[in-house]
Amino acid sequence: MSTWQVERQEGEDGEVTLSVAEGTPLSPWDAGAALRIVGTPRTRLEGVEKVTGSAQYAYDVRLAGQLYAGILRSPHPHARLTRVDTTAAAALPGVHAVISLADAPDIDWYDDSKLFDPTLRFAGDEVAAVAAEDEDIVADALRLVVAEYEPLPFAIDIVAALAPGATPIHEGGNVESEKTYERGDVEAGLRAADVTFDRVLTTQTAIHHSLEPHGCTVAWEGEGVTVWESTQSIFDVRQQVAEKLGLGESQVRVIKQHMGGGFGSKQIVWKQTVIAALLAKRSGRPVQLMLDREGESLAVGNRNPTRQRLRLGATADGTLTAIDVTIHQAIGAHSAGGEGSNTAGLYQTLYACPNVRTSQTGVYTNTGPAVAFRAPGYVEAAFALETGMDDLARQLGMDPLALRLTNYTGDDQSKEMPFSQPDGLRACYEKATVAFGWGETIEQPAESHRRRGVGIAAHHWVGGAGDPPGYAWVKLNPDGRADIITGTQDIGTGTRTGLAMVAAEELGFTLDQVTFHLGDTALGPYAPVSSGSATMATIGPAIRAAAAEAKAELLAAAAAFLEEPVERLSVRDGLIRVAGEPEDRATPVAAVTGSMSPHMIQTQGARGGNPEDVSIQTFGVQCAEVEVDTRTGEVTILRVVAAHDCGRIINPTTVDSQVIGGVTQGIGFALTEERVVDAATGIVLNANLEEYKVPTVSDIPGIQNVHVGIPDLKANPTGSKGIGEPPLIPTAPAIANAVFDAVGVRFYDLPLSRSRVVDALAARERQGMPA
Amino acid sequence: MGRHRHTVTLTINGETHDLAVEPRRTLLDALRDDVSLTGTKKVCDMGNCGACTVLVEGQAMYSCLLLAVDCQGLSVTTIEGLGHDGQLDPIQRAFIEADAFQCGFCTPGQVMSLRGLLDATPSPSDEQIERAVTGNLCRCGAYLHIIDAGRRAVVLDREAKEVRDVHVAG
Amino acid sequence: MTMRTFAYAQPESLADVIAALGAAPSRDAVRPLAGGTDLLTLMKGDIVAPDRLLDLKRLTGLDDTVEIRDNELVLGALTTLTAIETGSLVGEHCPALAKAASLAATPQLRNRATLGGNLLQRPRCWYFREHLIPCWLKGGDACPAREGENGLHALFADSPCVAVHPSDLATVLLAMDATVTVRGDAGERAIAAGDFFVQPDEGRRRENTLGGDEVVLSVAIPLIPGRTSAYHKAMDRKAWAFALVSAACSFRLDGGVMRDVRVVLGGVAPIPWRSTAAEAALDGERPGADVFARAAAAALAGAEPLRHNGYKVHLARNLVIEALEEVTRA
Ligand SMILES: Cc1cc2nc3c(=O)[nH]c(=O)nc-3n(C[C@H](O)[C@H](O)[C@H](O)COP(=O)(O)OP(=O)(O)OC[C@H]3O[C@@H](n4cnc5c(N)ncnc54)[C@H](O)[C@@H]3O)c2cc1C
Ligand code: SF4
Ligand code: FES
Ligand code: FES
Repeated sequence: MSTWQVERQEGEDGEVTLSVAEGTPLSPWDAGAALRIVGTPRTRLEGVEKVTGSAQYAYDVRLAGQLYAGILRSPHPHARLTRVDTTAAAALPGVHAVISLADAPDIDWYDDSKLFDPTLRFAGDEVAAVAAEDEDIVADALRLVVAEYEPLPFAIDIVAALAPGATPIHEGGNVESEKTYERGDVEAGLRAADVTFDRVLTTQTAIHHSLEPHGCTVAWEGEGVTVWESTQSIFDVRQQVAEKLGLGESQVRVIKQHMGGGFGSKQIVWKQTVIAALLAKRSGRPVQLMLDREGESLAVGNRNPTRQRLRLGATADGTLTAIDVTIHQAIGAHSAGGEGSNTAGLYQTLYACPNVRTSQTGVYTNTGPAVAFRAPGYVEAAFALETGMDDLARQLGMDPLALRLTNYTGDDQSKEMPFSQPDGLRACYEKATVAFGWGETIEQPAESHRRRGVGIAAHHWVGGAGDPPGYAWVKLNPDGRADIITGTQDIGTGTRTGLAMVAAEELGFTLDQVTFHLGDTALGPYAPVSSGSATMATIGPAIRAAAAEAKAELLAAAAAFLEEPVERLSVRDGLIRVAGEPEDRATPVAAVTGSMSPHMIQTQGARGGNPEDVSIQTFGVQCAEVEVDTRTGEVTILRVVAAHDCGRIINPTTVDSQVIGGVTQGIGFALTEERVVDAATGIVLNANLEEYKVPTVSDIPGIQNVHVGIPDLKANPTGSKGIGEPPLIPTAPAIANAVFDAVGVRFYDLPLSRSRVVDALAARERQGMPA
Repeated sequence: MGRHRHTVTLTINGETHDLAVEPRRTLLDALRDDVSLTGTKKVCDMGNCGACTVLVEGQAMYSCLLLAVDCQGLSVTTIEGLGHDGQLDPIQRAFIEADAFQCGFCTPGQVMSLRGLLDATPSPSDEQIERAVTGNLCRCGAYLHIIDAGRRAVVLDREAKEVRDVHVAG
Repeated sequence: MTMRTFAYAQPESLADVIAALGAAPSRDAVRPLAGGTDLLTLMKGDIVAPDRLLDLKRLTGLDDTVEIRDNELVLGALTTLTAIETGSLVGEHCPALAKAASLAATPQLRNRATLGGNLLQRPRCWYFREHLIPCWLKGGDACPAREGENGLHALFADSPCVAVHPSDLATVLLAMDATVTVRGDAGERAIAAGDFFVQPDEGRRRENTLGGDEVVLSVAIPLIPGRTSAYHKAMDRKAWAFALVSAACSFRLDGGVMRDVRVVLGGVAPIPWRSTAAEAALDGERPGADVFARAAAAALAGAEPLRHNGYKVHLARNLVIEALEEVTRA
């Protein structure tokens, strides 16, 4: 039975908040649990919709009288908007509503700015918006908006923003945040070291580039508004839209059945949603506002670039004596919210080390705001730390794997408690390196200009644990089928299918006896944002709890129906069985549920709290083999082997997809992806999918995902943790280390673009050191 | 210049449509907005991604770089036009089996590119399968499974054709 | 971005097109429309805004025929890149051109893009393609790329513009001594590919010499017995990318020595860049690593790298060597 406790808390400002503790105690499915559905490969429940084009994305909503909308963006990286006049735009036939600073309601946005702000802080900041009968008219109208700007000095990168006399982007200056952490004494650690590493490493700005852009379709009905939004968090959209428009939460309904990618960029609510709602209100018609690719590139998040000075020290036997990192990261023009990049985190936990110091400074720049991008911070840190570790291994003449194992820890040193799964990373090292054949000699091609090499990298990830609150309902219908209802969302990760499997497992039903409902704030109970690789671990236990309760009620009903003691009853494959009775005497669930109709079994499950004495993280290791053509600088990735610990694997099919997808993005981050900003104008030169180069099918080698699959019994009653973000973390350093192994050139800056690789190889050739 | 509209006749998935469109209307917008066939996706609108791929006279093309008026009299097949008698197209089945998508937004375009390939080349090599989707970006990174789906589709397609041939013969 | 309004017409004859082009107030006001894969992107990007498009695909006098005529391989202007990639005549007589087509763009684009349009496509320079930034080639005062993000730009620019020519096919066509046949008000003329492409200058901010009233009819490649050719393209990723640098080389062996040598680089100049110095270094020599290296060095001798594109020198040199090696093997 579930528990529910509420506690009053009063803040310093006198504000009262109630904190709730709840949950259903369930014994975890342990390693020996005889599971029939969980752990078996299943195709996606929404497969048919997606392959036939009938899946409805926010972009696909078509309502009677619907208008289309677009946004005019600042051409300047920093400017005061001195005049904006939308008269001509509004007068254009087919235009039904306009909005700009001239007539927008006073709505706060970001920390210290407005929905339409007189100060524009990046090229791409919102200036005006128009709703019209088709997208062509929208474009015509936007060209008719008269906007005058007074350009201000600007800073587009960390160095410029921190230079003395740099233009302040916000009142308090350009330092957005500073965080430090220290344990032990790094200077002493470095003095005690036999070998050291001391380098500045940089990572680039990467753009999420979800294929479906951000955007929504909005329709008002009276004082209530329905928003079909491409979002990772329907309940956050509901809360934000209500807050910004002065509505109650219940007046806002948010729907998201399918979404064309998010990768973190859709975990917060951006301006266009509220703009669309205002345009819809003004025009009295439904409005669809989807960003174009340029807007998508400029204004709705990016992986912040970093500059990391890293110092490492180790003794001759490979024991780390010090890790010291100073991190600067450009967070763009605004702190957009959402989970901030914790670049320092990985340094604090990945290796056993008594002396660790991290300092992380967020810097404002006149570029689009950064927001979480799949494993924010850890991806950037892994490149630097794992490059440094590889270098130390070379200096020590040690195998890079051996160096890592020498410094293994099962404790979260930053929290001073053990990991819930202290051997998780060790299992990843074993599985990945065995499958890869780490340590075996690799065959070199006959041509001397083609050189092969291998690299390894490991990671921790602070996410994947899940948290309360999060709810699910189970409804057993008279026909014996179950409806599972939750307010979570499937962002493409396979949540629907995985959660339905958890429900079917616990109920004892077959998967096709379960109908799964999500993605509608009006119809489902609360679930949090799908981020931090948390959805499975947050909602899975809630579903299991609701299903367990439903099953208990079902068995009680069956006991009455069959006149058998409940202890003798069980449900399997959707049939109620009596212990000791032959299989063919089993009773279909529908016989029981039908006989109690119209009464129904309806239950709720709530996600309970996490244990407080262990740290729940996820772990992984990747090995890569590459070939470098020393004449042309072409880097070809030959294979990647990945092993990630995500606790129990619910659906191996979708876990494989997550891993190969993450590695694929990691390859783009390693080799080709980089936002380019023109220093003279502050304009992004590659706000498109032509010059911002994401990998194509031909860039992707064989990727093998080796299942680790050890249930994390301390984490939650399903034993499962998230896998969404981790697979991208170690890919770039594994590749960069493999490139070093192949040609002996170390790269300290990402991406390893063709130009960078050719330059480095040419420089080496000039020094008379051919490969 | 006024907003002059042309009437164009297109055969979309075997059905004739007369559309009144401005010359600047792309085939993509005409499909999505005028005919409400939203299975074809709009991503870059610049010929950079492949999400808008349809078959025009049997050949895979980016509908965002075609003017609807320039398609007068042509036959266009979209994702909604695949499959026979309530059955999925073999490529669609293969995509589900191979888990060849995550978010699914690139999927209609990927499927259409492969349909174009298999119609012209029923027994393609792995390299041909790969080349057929080089113009279809997948940000979720489902590529390996897309290639796998392509391979499965070749087999399923052949089986489906045999079944159809038997029906025709019978 | 969507396009501004324009009118669309399907002229019945080539003469109508030529007359309309001749009568146009400016070159950009009336544009012929072939596949549209370049023109429409320029219009969407608000780089050009024609009043009128004239469809070239449904008129007599312009076609997509590929044939051998008078010892030349002749390709109609409307030949698609797919046809060039897969056609048997091109494959047999000019595999380097087939390869260039196969490495260009993507399958969907190749199904639509035409040869004529490919030669006439505008640069991909990201300053040029960004309507917010004025640039010399678009009629502005200066070239922002010279001091800006110029990693993709030219090593050899005898022009205020340092953009590179984007066409893969053009590079090969120069190496094959192709001619481009065009027709305008004054009639038909055949232009050597090397004269068709010219560096933009004050009087002509364009990359070719096609007259305002002229239409490209066809491209002809002389068939020289024993001549073999190769094309190598370096890209940022394995597919769907313009060339960072490319090299097209051809020669025939005459008594073991190289004759009729052509060395042409792509991605290094506003036009396909032929190196007569490299050709001279090879002419009359036996193929071999040393002479290839000398020729490659000669090809890059006058290069003037900008701040971010020095890598192209090394890359181009090695691509020339690779292409020459392949010609030798062929
Ligand atoms: C995403 C993308 C990637 C690409 N990648 C590559 C690549 O890797 N390599 C490469 O070489 N190219 C590449 N291209 C360019 C592509 O090959 C060209 O856009 C195409 O060949 C142009 O042909 P078209 O028929 O579509 O020309 P259009 O766009 O119709 O025309 C281009 C120009 O030529 C004019 N024109 C066309 N035909 C004639 C004619 N017969 N006579 C007079 N004027 C004419 C038009 O008025 C217009 O000004 C790429 C294009 C895109 C969009
Ligand atoms: S290189 Fe040429 S096209 Fe590019 S900005 Fe300079 S002038 Fe313009
Ligand atoms: S939308 Fe047409 S190619 Fe991207
Ligand atoms: S499945 Fe999401 S982009 Fe391909």
